[in-house]
Amino acid sequence: MQVNRPSLAIEPLPLRPWRVAVPRRARNVAARGVQYALGVALLIVYIVPFAWMILGSLRLETEIFQFTYPLSWHTFVPVVWSVKNFLDILGLSPEGRSFGLDFGRALGFTALVSAGVVVSSLIFNTMGAYFFARLEFPRKDLVLLFVIATLLIPFEAVMVPLYIVVRTLHLQDTYWALVLPWYASPFVIFALIQFFKEIPRELDEAATMDGASHLGILRHVIVPNALPGLITTALLEFQFIWNLFYWPLIAVGRKDLQTIQVAIAQQTTQTQVYWGRIFAGSVLASVPVIILFLLLQRYYIKGVVMSGLKG
Amino acid sequence: MSSAVVAPAYPSPRGWWTRRRRSYLIAFLFVAPAVVNFLLFRYVPILAAIRSSLWQYSLLGGYGKFIGLQAYGRLLQDPVFWKSLTVTVQYVLLKVPAQIVLSLALAILLQREDRFSAAVRSAIFAPVVTSIVVISVIWSLMYHVQLGLFNSILTSAGLPRVVFLSNARVALVAIVIMMVWKEIGFSLIVLMAGLKGIPDTFHEAARIDGASSWQQFRSITLPLLRRVLMFVVVTQTIFSFQVFVPVYTMTKGGPLDSTKVIVYYIYQNGFLFQDMGYASALSMITLIVLLGVSTAQMRWLRSEVEY
Repeated sequence: MQVNRPSLAIEPLPLRPWRVAVPRRARNVAARGVQYALGVALLIVYIVPFAWMILGSLRLETEIFQFTYPLSWHTFVPVVWSVKNFLDILGLSPEGRSFGLDFGRALGFTALVSAGVVVSSLIFNTMGAYFFARLEFPRKDLVLLFVIATLLIPFEAVMVPLYIVVRTLHLQDTYWALVLPWYASPFVIFALIQFFKEIPRELDEAATMDGASHLGILRHVIVPNALPGLITTALLEFQFIWNLFYWPLIAVGRKDLQTIQVAIAQQTTQTQVYWGRIFAGSVLASVPVIILFLLLQRYYIKGVVMSGLKG
Repeated sequence: MSSAVVAPAYPSPRGWWTRRRRSYLIAFLFVAPAVVNFLLFRYVPILAAIRSSLWQYSLLGGYGKFIGLQAYGRLLQDPVFWKSLTVTVQYVLLKVPAQIVLSLALAILLQREDRFSAAVRSAIFAPVVTSIVVISVIWSLMYHVQLGLFNSILTSAGLPRVVFLSNARVALVAIVIMMVWKEIGFSLIVLMAGLKGIPDTFHEAARIDGASSWQQFRSITLPLLRRVLMFVVVTQTIFSFQVFVPVYTMTKGGPLDSTKVIVYYIYQNGFLFQDMGYASALSMITLIVLLGVSTAQMRWLRSEVEY
């Protein structure tokens, strides 16, 4: 069989002759076909919930339930397109106002909290990573151990004790309760140390010769050279703080200091649940972030891989 | 000779306050904000938890009289605590293996560098960056008994309805399915990076020797991916042990405590029953259990890496 193949010397007779019964090319085509079919199935599984949410936010409340059964085109696609749910949830319609809905304020406040955390953590984690990557200090390994050990503290499990501490500091029910605990992060410090170590030390030395201080080196050497790393960590911090739920839920009880995640979760605990409004609120809280991340996916994946493989 | 050079530098004119000490102080100022943060918001809470579990404590009244280990004694006799620990372990044992196996299969399926694979990867990645609140709110509507999308699909296919979230036997599995769907993208990214680290020449050599795809997977991919795989198992176990948000938004721990994971039970005691002391004792136990789990896993990781 297959005497005409010149590659016999390199590809010896397979151990299982029945495997050759199907020509290799045909097998490859079949394998690719299976791959595509699985890929399409995956796309459906991952896109349908998002499509259901987005299209559901653009239809009228009654219509959502009308086409649930049997499954049809209109289970997903609105008959009448409408932005009423968005007007309600943002408190721009009389009905929305009567429910006291104000997602615009919650979005603005969450943006303010996120900005506070991202900016402060960029500053303080950069300084901390600079200390570990470049500065001299006696028993620096002990300081590093102090930082590493925080990684072992289970985050969600110590939220109640964290609340006790924040309450003792009289920070509960304030903006600062949402920002201060997160201005430094062991994960980010580690990622930044990796990025800073890749910058040649000769650059620092040259800057020192020119009379630059530590802050000068940070500003003119480290930050410009570690920009991709800083973008990555800023993205990770933004995602973390924008999506944070448990801490804002317990740390802040005042309605005017509610973050968007708490506001959405609250919509589901009312006596009457309005699906359209839940869809609309979820779209506002998630779609812009998803688009941002899909655009900057490269940076984000680099961050995940770094914290995942070097951590 | 060397002492002649060093000598003038030492008893410095300013005594203790040397140039070197000054530079150490400046250096420390750089790390000080982070150190203060970790001290205040990561270490002090543990001390606060120990204190408020040993003394009577309430949010309004502050600390009262010393009660010793009473809270811990109560905990050992609390059937709901044991139930919540069991539920949490069940959740971890269902979710982590399913997630790892599926993400490994997907990593191999999607490792091609073409546009279609990239699009599928992006779609799988979208829920990773989406808030868990949004995901669990949308999924709880999809799981709805009468009006949910899943039951719409099931009944349209002529199958019986499934009560997802109000059935004690199904609710935890329903949450696991959703969380695997959400978090698979994360382990997928890490495993794909691991796959890229395996040189192509290994697979080529095996192919020339006539190894089947399965043989290549068993004897090349799996052993070389071992370290990355174990890392994903360790981190996902620790993360999954602390699951809270889906339980809060979808089931509130019910039905019949079948989804009452440990972190939700802590929340319930601290903020719904206003029993901060007991919640602190529960936090401490969870902390100790997780420290045990992570040390055991770290040791396992280290022993395997050295082979």
